Amino acid sequence: MIKLAAFRRTFAAISLFGIAAILTGCGASARGRYFGKTVAPTDNILRYVSGSEPESLDPAVPNGQPEARILMSLYDGLVEYHPKTMEPIPSLAETWEVGPDGTEYLFHLRKNGKFSNGDPITANDFVYTFRRGFKPELASRNASLGYYIKYSEAYNSGRAFVKDSNGQFLLKKDFSVGDSSAGAETHDTLGPMSDFHRYLDSPERLTVPGDKKELDKFLEDDPKLKAAVTGKELVPVKAEDIGVEAADDYTLRIKLYQPAPYFLGLLGHQFFRVVDKNVVEKYGNNWSRPENIVTSGAFKVETYRPYDVLVVTKDPNYWDAANVKLDKIEFYPLDEQTTILNLYKAGSIDAQYNHTVPAPWNETVRQYTAEYSLHPEVATEFYVVNVKRPPMDNVKLRQAFALAIDRDALAVFRKTLKPLVDMTPEGIFPKYEAARQKIYAEELTKQGSTLAEWKARKYDPEKARRLMAEAGFPVQGSAGSYSSPNFPVDKVSITYNTAESNKAVAEFVQAQWKQNLGVTVPLENMEFRTFLPLLNKVDYNGFARRGWVGDYMDPYTFLGLYYSKANEGGTGWWDPKYDKMLDDANNTVDTQKRFEKLARAEFYISQQQIIIPLGTSGTSWLKKPYVKGMYPNPGTLHTWKFVYIEPDQSKWTTNMDNIMNEDDPVVTAQLAELTAKQDTLENSQTASPEKMAAADTGK
Amino acid sequence: MFSFILRRLLIIVPMALLVVTLTWVLIRLAPGNFYSSEKKLPPAIEANIKKRYGLDKPWYQQYGLVMLNIVKLDFGESLKYQGQTVNEIIGRHLPYSATMGLLAYLLALAVGLSAGIFAALRQNSLWDHGSMAIAMLGLSVPNFVLGPTLVLVFALDLYILPPARWGGIANLILPVITLSAIYCAYIARLTRAGMLEVLRSDYIRTARAKGLDEKTVLLKHALRGGIIPVVSFTGPALAGLLAGTVVVERVFSIPGLGNIFIQAVLNRDEPLVLGIVAFLSILIMIFNLAVDISYGFLDPRIRYE
Repeated sequence: MIKLAAFRRTFAAISLFGIAAILTGCGASARGRYFGKTVAPTDNILRYVSGSEPESLDPAVPNGQPEARILMSLYDGLVEYHPKTMEPIPSLAETWEVGPDGTEYLFHLRKNGKFSNGDPITANDFVYTFRRGFKPELASRNASLGYYIKYSEAYNSGRAFVKDSNGQFLLKKDFSVGDSSAGAETHDTLGPMSDFHRYLDSPERLTVPGDKKELDKFLEDDPKLKAAVTGKELVPVKAEDIGVEAADDYTLRIKLYQPAPYFLGLLGHQFFRVVDKNVVEKYGNNWSRPENIVTSGAFKVETYRPYDVLVVTKDPNYWDAANVKLDKIEFYPLDEQTTILNLYKAGSIDAQYNHTVPAPWNETVRQYTAEYSLHPEVATEFYVVNVKRPPMDNVKLRQAFALAIDRDALAVFRKTLKPLVDMTPEGIFPKYEAARQKIYAEELTKQGSTLAEWKARKYDPEKARRLMAEAGFPVQGSAGSYSSPNFPVDKVSITYNTAESNKAVAEFVQAQWKQNLGVTVPLENMEFRTFLPLLNKVDYNGFARRGWVGDYMDPYTFLGLYYSKANEGGTGWWDPKYDKMLDDANNTVDTQKRFEKLARAEFYISQQQIIIPLGTSGTSWLKKPYVKGMYPNPGTLHTWKFVYIEPDQSKWTTNMDNIMNEDDPVVTAQLAELTAKQDTLENSQTASPEKMAAADTGK
Repeated sequence: MFSFILRRLLIIVPMALLVVTLTWVLIRLAPGNFYSSEKKLPPAIEANIKKRYGLDKPWYQQYGLVMLNIVKLDFGESLKYQGQTVNEIIGRHLPYSATMGLLAYLLALAVGLSAGIFAALRQNSLWDHGSMAIAMLGLSVPNFVLGPTLVLVFALDLYILPPARWGGIANLILPVITLSAIYCAYIARLTRAGMLEVLRSDYIRTARAKGLDEKTVLLKHALRGGIIPVVSFTGPALAGLLAGTVVVERVFSIPGLGNIFIQAVLNRDEPLVLGIVAFLSILIMIFNLAVDISYGFLDPRIRYE
């Protein structure tokens, strides 16, 4: 390092090569307050690093964040993300209503919505977009996001209704199939009545696998079902059967099979953003190629050179074009951290996506408070525990290992991680956290404990050793030389996918366990795609590293990971009681009460210690101070129409730490305009239902 | 001569098939697949994906299809990048690598040949030792060290060259220098060694004895024989350079074939991996053939049976 620095200095000194002139020209503003070269661009173009090369520009197909960042600029949905909080705000849907039991949504669309080719966007386009997303032949990996929509899962999985000889369909409630959610009766009636609406509103039908072989297997376990289904006509669930309906050209109805209070928040996902039926049908698989593509968002494709750059340009056809401030965005598909930082420092890019600051640069970069963002994310880092394999099938042992990690020290060491002991991230769902505080206090009092004691889970090596002993693996020795001779170290390991940061954390945790429990857990690293099957099949020993990024802004996106027998938690743990608690919570329409029920479920699962929480992830990215309207929101997904370039240096961002509380008049005004109608509607709704109806008919 | 070329051309086909078969087996042995992510997919969705990409068919049918595609020189559609064919992807990214590779090789030839020749002519002089020391350095500094060092100095300290990405000529300077360094060194050393050997041979003494001037002796007689080692090195080197070099393309984020190849492997994008492997193996075999043919022109002592 020293040699290198000396080399650099000498080199700078011998810049007699005529470079001196250029140096004084552009180097002057390059040092000092800002990190690297910082000159506001004059061309009103944002240059943004969006992550690895997008799989496709078809919003239904890719499920990654790199694509989400890009597709948000190209497609518009019923709702859009709030630039700071990521809560849903009106977009193509100007207003919406939710039925009293939370299963029916009625969206009132703007009449001036247009695709980039000038075609109007109507409710029928949304119906088409949704049906297409669930089409089995499309094989979208996002489809399960929308499974709350009635019969969408059945359609996507090729299932069939069962019709008896009288032409009546068998109903799900008559057979308690599979999981605990037997489909509560739902009667939400919003907007005009139609045959289709009546069908959607009727009790949920039974669906069975459409494939003969799978059907036999399905029926084998349930003689009652087998008797009922045998000899009946199977009617495949079609695209037209799913719970979306264009009540009229500008009114869209969505029917869920059970209440999902976070459903609205999901609708900002690219999977639900609208595509043009004519274009998709005309070009088939090739419709999203640059020469054919038609988009619905604030920007449209200008040039696309894969692995190099995707240039999108402001679309004059966009309904809100007046509020789109950038002329263009250049998305650079890069994922090499050092390269990204180099480009940033050299002033070749204006902003980058999250977690892109290389660890060795953390200390340096965080001093530039006008540019560096470290805010909590809707993402957590934790170790999953394989609860099926001894010795970790012992809950006391799991708790011991969880308690034996000094999370504050980890946060200091890792720098971009905030200590976490819960299943859900901290500082992301304030209302939920308040409810949780109350419930936990209650539950703990019942157990004869206190909230303070519960919070001490952040690090309690004494208790950890006690629990080890109770689990049958006593820890001997004194501080500095603990050992636990009984513990089978060969039966556990920390498995993680190869990444510098994962390795650093694993080594840290390993050292903590060694120091506090006298156990040296071996480390095992694996290439990402080799690691994934192990995780998904729960085929690892002891502990495996995991990060989880929420799909939407609700604690359920974390708690739901361990829901149902086939859950994606990767721990092998399943408990019907937990499922019931979650179902119960989600069937509660009142937000506060629902949060309290979710908190009880979280308390319940926390005691099982099936995961060892490590921290809430921090955003860790940089933007140049002249980029405004771009916030470190919990998912680092920027609503591009709010972003602008500020040439006036006195208005540049001065402190990223405070950016969420600062009031940017430009953004505030734009937000107020967008949400005005929906806000009025919701206020009148809470005031009196009659007024709401009046407001509705007045439109 | 003709039958020699024909024989060599014919052998390319089974060789390519063999290489692709081995690669196919390796990919199939590697755990994971192109659609896996942190989020576990419901079985129904996984089934939909398998059906769509024909992964639900028995392995021999899938293998047969791969072989058939190779013979047709149509490698099918990428799994990761929907709607893009492998041929299209290769065609699109080859020019980036080729431009960079060709420039780097030309630079390496210019620098390496002149350095080598001068070193050989002034054997054991300061010039000889100096240039060979630098060449040694060029060989031993890996390009993942050289590249970032150049970036550090020219892009991040002096702000005179862009640190990465494709673009204008300015963007090319650092990657081309980085890429050519090792080839410069190789060529310099090979040229020097070849020239030294040739300069001591009998036919050079004869040429001098005939009274030819030194320039003719060197350029017409010595050089032709002296650069044969460089020529045999050029075949595989050029094929490798044209097809992209992973490290330099990663360091400078050049959208070349090497970069795509690595991503394809990490993404488990089977058709793309197979396509690039087949393409590269054919390319290398053709270049080697070209090299073998060129020997005949350079050295009259070599004959083809």
